[in-house]
Amino acid sequence: MAFFVARRLLYLVPVLITVSLLTFSIASLLPGDLAYTILGDQATPENVAALRHDMGLDQPIWWRYLSWLGNVLQGDFGRSFRTGQTVLQAVAERLPVSIELMLLAQLGALAIGVPLAIVCAARSGGPFDRFMTGTAFGMLSVPTFLSAILLIYFFAVELRWLPATGYVPFAEDPVANLRFFVLPSLTLALAEWPGIMRILRSDMIATLQEDYIALAKAKGLTPARILFVHALKPSSLTLVTITGINIGRLIGGAVIVETVFALPGIGRLLVSAIGTRDLIILQGVVLLVAAGFVIMNFIVDLLYAVLDPRIRHGHA
Amino acid sequence: MKAAIRSSALARIFLVAGFGVALSAMPANAQKAGGSITVGLELDIPGFDVLKVGVYDTAALTASSALFDTLTTLDANGKPQPRLAVSWEPSEDFKMWTFKLRPGVKFHDGTPFNAAAFKANFDRQKDPANKCRCAFYISNVSNVQAPDELTLVYNLSDPSVNFPSLVSYASQTNAIHSPTAWKTKGDDYNRNPVGAGPYILKSWTAGDRMILEKNPDYWDKDKVYFDRITLKPLPDAQSRFASLQSGEVDLIWDDEFSADNIQKAQKDSKLTVHTYAGSGAAVYAMNTKTPPFDDVRVRQALVMALDRKKMSQAITNGLSRPASNPYGDGSWVKCKDDGALPEDLEKAKALIKDYGKPVDFKMLVTATPRGRTVGQVLQQLWKRAGANMEIEQVDQATIPPRAFMRQFQLTPWRIVDLADPDIQMYANFHTGSPVALANYSNPELDKLLEQARVTADQNKRVDLYCEITRLINKEAIWFWTFQNTYYAISSAKLKGLPKMYSGMIDVSRTWKE
Repeated sequence: MAFFVARRLLYLVPVLITVSLLTFSIASLLPGDLAYTILGDQATPENVAALRHDMGLDQPIWWRYLSWLGNVLQGDFGRSFRTGQTVLQAVAERLPVSIELMLLAQLGALAIGVPLAIVCAARSGGPFDRFMTGTAFGMLSVPTFLSAILLIYFFAVELRWLPATGYVPFAEDPVANLRFFVLPSLTLALAEWPGIMRILRSDMIATLQEDYIALAKAKGLTPARILFVHALKPSSLTLVTITGINIGRLIGGAVIVETVFALPGIGRLLVSAIGTRDLIILQGVVLLVAAGFVIMNFIVDLLYAVLDPRIRHGHA
Repeated sequence: MKAAIRSSALARIFLVAGFGVALSAMPANAQKAGGSITVGLELDIPGFDVLKVGVYDTAALTASSALFDTLTTLDANGKPQPRLAVSWEPSEDFKMWTFKLRPGVKFHDGTPFNAAAFKANFDRQKDPANKCRCAFYISNVSNVQAPDELTLVYNLSDPSVNFPSLVSYASQTNAIHSPTAWKTKGDDYNRNPVGAGPYILKSWTAGDRMILEKNPDYWDKDKVYFDRITLKPLPDAQSRFASLQSGEVDLIWDDEFSADNIQKAQKDSKLTVHTYAGSGAAVYAMNTKTPPFDDVRVRQALVMALDRKKMSQAITNGLSRPASNPYGDGSWVKCKDDGALPEDLEKAKALIKDYGKPVDFKMLVTATPRGRTVGQVLQQLWKRAGANMEIEQVDQATIPPRAFMRQFQLTPWRIVDLADPDIQMYANFHTGSPVALANYSNPELDKLLEQARVTADQNKRVDLYCEITRLINKEAIWFWTFQNTYYAISSAKLKGLPKMYSGMIDVSRTWKE
């Protein structure tokens, strides 16, 4: 196991370096010039040249990358030229919002997807199964921003049950905080449950045809027990995989959902950094998010190895 | 049903007519103190330290108008009224303005407000060592002197007959900060601003709510009603409007580009649409030093090929108001004849034919959905006249430098809503000015601009400015598409919102019925 972890950790290094290189290139390749953005109306050729020199923008790109990376490795991700905040401050302020959003969305998606998958697998090919697989397919093609606006229209404007936009920190008022999160996390969950349901359903249908299930039936165990205990357990691996895959999708979805519901999370920070050409925040946040994503996947891999010894020993 | 609606509408007209008379005879004492207001803005406010943010955008202006006080304010007729200054006096040549300040005013941190504090604000922005983007906006001021505690002297490099109305709103240049606060807070000052305005910053969560509380020591506190103002950035136009409909916010910022919401709100009796037809316009400059714009026929052809009504329909559901001069309905410059060229496609075609060479050129367009839409509409309109425009998408921040360096053939620009046309007209059209983007020089135009800025008589100035726009329209060096219209939508209960001069939504003296 220790060997497995060490090997996986070694894989992380080139991945993270590639991520940092890509992040830096994207920020550098964006149209527009940081010096112009900062100077605005004052961008005379002399001022631009002076500022570019001060910021080291006149250095070759590989040199800029290395000095940026050097600072990052020392924990200095830079400071926004617009707000004066450091990248780490900005991220620390907003990370809890995004994490809460993604956790609730994932829980919501599991709460919808898992029971439906079980019911569909138990009666595969039946009318309910056919209807739900169709619905799941339809839900996959509804864009997040559309379901967000529809949810807002029904639950906030028409029924007035829930707030349309806004946020309160959990520590300040837990109940209000959760009320603010219902619609955004439901929006994300609506995009995620079909994937969970479809994969788990096919997985369970395969499991239900295994010999030991027939044996369990012969023993006279109740169908519910067979489904929930004997059939679901082997599929837990699949759930872990889906969750791992979903992290990336959730990060993407969070960008849209946080903008529509005005949640002050990482997604919003990215959008406003792009809008204002705040490159220092942009490259810092993208790097941190990408690193977070890579590390989460690493944890998923570890969980996998814990759950399934075959993977640990390289047989799978 | 129709009949019922008609009769109730008629009844309303009679009621309004009757009430109108009654209301005008009543003193305005319906204001109610207390309660709070929540405002939905479009953007996250980056902060208030001018050295850091450079310019206050519309979202920042809503906050700054509550946090900071200014020397003057504009009344409903656009005339300057006292705030921190109680009186003012120009020199004979209008190059020096002396303001007498209000005594006994303190900033929120107890620092006394006086001429020295004001001068410190000004000097900090003007100091070349600080490299403040804001310095551009005070380039017409040579210096500010504080001869005694309550006297402030502005020395201008150019005469300005209307100067007090130009320092009337809480922009980055006019909002007055506590010098003690920025000196002691350093980097943290940006997000912990201290002013002398009617409201004090209570808390501010990044990317989320900013909470302001009423300043109990404000010199004009009887005219401040809400105990608390909450400002929220709600970037998405649809969910911002939904928050207003559901009652979570009382007022939202909006613009013509979410025309659907504005038109929906106009039909909703629970909501009020506040509009202000400002002066100025969305404008475009043609670089007359580059072909094909070195030929007046081509320039005139492009202007004649415009169909502003169609454009307005395509871009904003018809909300945008066409402009044929740079002053607009919000300006005191009203021209009987502004010399606008007719919108005449046939004439445009004939001019281009007459020119005889292919008309191909590039236009700078901001790389935003709005910029692209406008660019594509113009491209189609000009195509009909036989001109080929290629869209060059650039980042918003790239346009000013490209414009200053004259690296463009056709560029979008804006004349913002200001109480006086002089600053922008002089800068945009006088020979040798960095912003005279058309690269066009005309002694007659220069003379008119110079006269207009030193003439005290407003009627004479109107004549001069109309003469100026006739000349520009005839030469077609710049053209104007739409006037500046500013929007806010609020619950119908909200009262007392002043005119949105320069697009500023100032809720600091509003109340709820």
